[in-house]
Amino acid sequence: MEKLILAIDTSCDETAAAVVQGRKVRSSVIYSQILMHKEWGGVVPSIAKRAHEERIDWVIQEAMKKAVVQHDQLDAIAVTYGPGLAIALEVGIRHAVELAQKWGKPLVSVNHMEGHLYSPFVQNSKGNPSRTFDFPYLGLLISGGHTELVLFKDHLQYEILGETVDDAAGEALDKAARMLGFGYPGGPVLERLAVTVDNTDKYVFPRPMMKSGDLNFSFSGLKTALLYKVRKMSDEEKQQEIAYLASSFQEAVFKTVVKKTEKAMVETGIHHLLVGGGVAVNKHLRTMMRALAKKHGGYVHFPALKYLNYDNAAMIGVVGAIRAEKGLCIENTEKLDRVPRLSLLQSSI
Amino acid sequence: MTRTLTLSKERKNTVINATKEVLGKGGLVVFPSDTVYGLLVDATCDEAVDKLIAFKNRPPGKAISVFVRDMQMIKQHAHLSRQQESLLSSLLPGPFTVVLPSKHTLVSKLESEKGTIGLRIPDYYYVQQLINQYGKPVTATSANLGGSNPHYSIDSLLYQIPKKKAELIDLIVDAGKLPRNKPSTVIDLTGEDLHILRQGEIVFEREDHYISRSAEQTKKIGQFILDKMLKRKMSKPIVFIMKGDLGAGKTEMTRGIAEYFGINRIVSPTFVVYYEYDIPKHTEKAYAASFDKFVHADLYNVADEREFEDLGLETYLDSPSVIVIEWGEKLGRLYEKFRQKALTVFIEIQHKSDQERIVDVKE
Repeated sequence: MEKLILAIDTSCDETAAAVVQGRKVRSSVIYSQILMHKEWGGVVPSIAKRAHEERIDWVIQEAMKKAVVQHDQLDAIAVTYGPGLAIALEVGIRHAVELAQKWGKPLVSVNHMEGHLYSPFVQNSKGNPSRTFDFPYLGLLISGGHTELVLFKDHLQYEILGETVDDAAGEALDKAARMLGFGYPGGPVLERLAVTVDNTDKYVFPRPMMKSGDLNFSFSGLKTALLYKVRKMSDEEKQQEIAYLASSFQEAVFKTVVKKTEKAMVETGIHHLLVGGGVAVNKHLRTMMRALAKKHGGYVHFPALKYLNYDNAAMIGVVGAIRAEKGLCIENTEKLDRVPRLSLLQSSI
Repeated sequence: MTRTLTLSKERKNTVINATKEVLGKGGLVVFPSDTVYGLLVDATCDEAVDKLIAFKNRPPGKAISVFVRDMQMIKQHAHLSRQQESLLSSLLPGPFTVVLPSKHTLVSKLESEKGTIGLRIPDYYYVQQLINQYGKPVTATSANLGGSNPHYSIDSLLYQIPKKKAELIDLIVDAGKLPRNKPSTVIDLTGEDLHILRQGEIVFEREDHYISRSAEQTKKIGQFILDKMLKRKMSKPIVFIMKGDLGAGKTEMTRGIAEYFGINRIVSPTFVVYYEYDIPKHTEKAYAASFDKFVHADLYNVADEREFEDLGLETYLDSPSVIVIEWGEKLGRLYEKFRQKALTVFIEIQHKSDQERIVDVKE
């Protein structure tokens, strides 16, 4: 029987809990999704510690109730311990430790980014998608908080091939939208505008770090390039060009991401891709990544359900099940501490 | 016959003693500094200065700057108003040479034709130790021949100068490759208004007003401001409140400040609002190591002032932390709390043009 796990994630603004059985999600509760259906994975800031504190018991209860699970049936409790906001992580950890002690269950600590990496393998309660593991993979994690290229060698074995040295890709898209006069969330706005001009790359903004020779990303300078371009335009001109500006900016980000991913494919010889994170819901990026995989005779997996691209506890539970299966539980639960800048490398076994 | 000594922590005393001895005999020493390799001779010894001028091919009447120990030594050799003194104490020690009316107590060939003298208190431990122990000012001119570029390594220096010239050097103190800091900024204080004669790494326009022309310079300015704050040893948390448009360079400056503490993995915290880093205990700067946490916050996404009170940022004020807050002008009511509990500095970075940023500092 596959491990039955209660998972908790409070890495940023979401208070999330889920119950999973192996890779199958029995329930997944994300507080903010109940209140507002936002499209994008960025933060509508309500990051306050108190907010997590107020919601977490209810979110856990809901997850247990929806899964129709009694606590004595659980095999373990999994919790995110980083990366993320220190005070937010603390709330999840404290509640997970308390429940593990109260119910006498083992505790498993999970890296939030591991969750995103495994998210294409998270299944619904019927066991779909049925895709099986076929290591190694090349993982692209792309969201408002992260942009990383990961060599996913085997279960729980990671190597970081490249990462952003300043802004995350999703953050750059969001800030670009803000510069063009749009509110939050900005990513989907750019995506829609770009479609209206067929994703034309009219302005050919600089492709950041293209010649750096490594697999790292940098989007801060691109942001500045857009700023200067927009500043030189009159309001009228800006209005006229807005879709082209949006599209060109998005192209600069995505083409850089695709080129670096391709470079990683060539260097590692791995043509099986996994893509996760909030920006991975962008249809244009998906098309580009599929074309890239096809060009090299490989394939690409995305999370099967939209919510799995954003912060959620289901993906944490799936990693938790694998860790529990391997007996990788926390021995001294009192000592579990949050690691705000936790790297995937630190969680690799 | 030129002697070469390698400078290291362990051999510090040997090297400084040998340097003192050579200087005392009117000798010429190549010595590292916070900027480039310098040419040191005793600034009170005529023959030594002649030797230096011969080495540099320096036309007579062109001033040569001098390392001094502290403000007191500046006042011993130059005229300084109280207002100038307060300006200088905010800048020095640091990569600046200040030009002041001379009291003519040093070798006159070091002065300009107008009777002014360039003085410098370097932010460099070994030069400070040397002058402390030697007790007299020494020349601070860069170790190159007139008209050519300064040197960051001994190899490059020796490669450039002819053998005959090289023989004039009595002692070379080799500290390896120096970080590529530009020569000092030269500030003329002899006129009515402050006047910049040469722009160095830290481009300084007037008190607490800097100009950056690159990301690298923005980092340097951040480190410079931090250094000044650390030197006050207030045993309080240090808080930087940063204001500036998207793309102004706030994260670059934060990166500079973090690097000072040996933290090299700064990425934007916009998404999670803030990241916390441990300050390594093995940093070379002893006082810097008395701080525990480095916190990099970004309030860009925070919409509501009431949220700050639950953000937990102020909990860092109760421990030895260094906190940088981008978009810190949004702090609102919490700002007063930060000011009370921490040594707080307000930095505003503005775009002047595509390449230039103005950095204003207020306490």
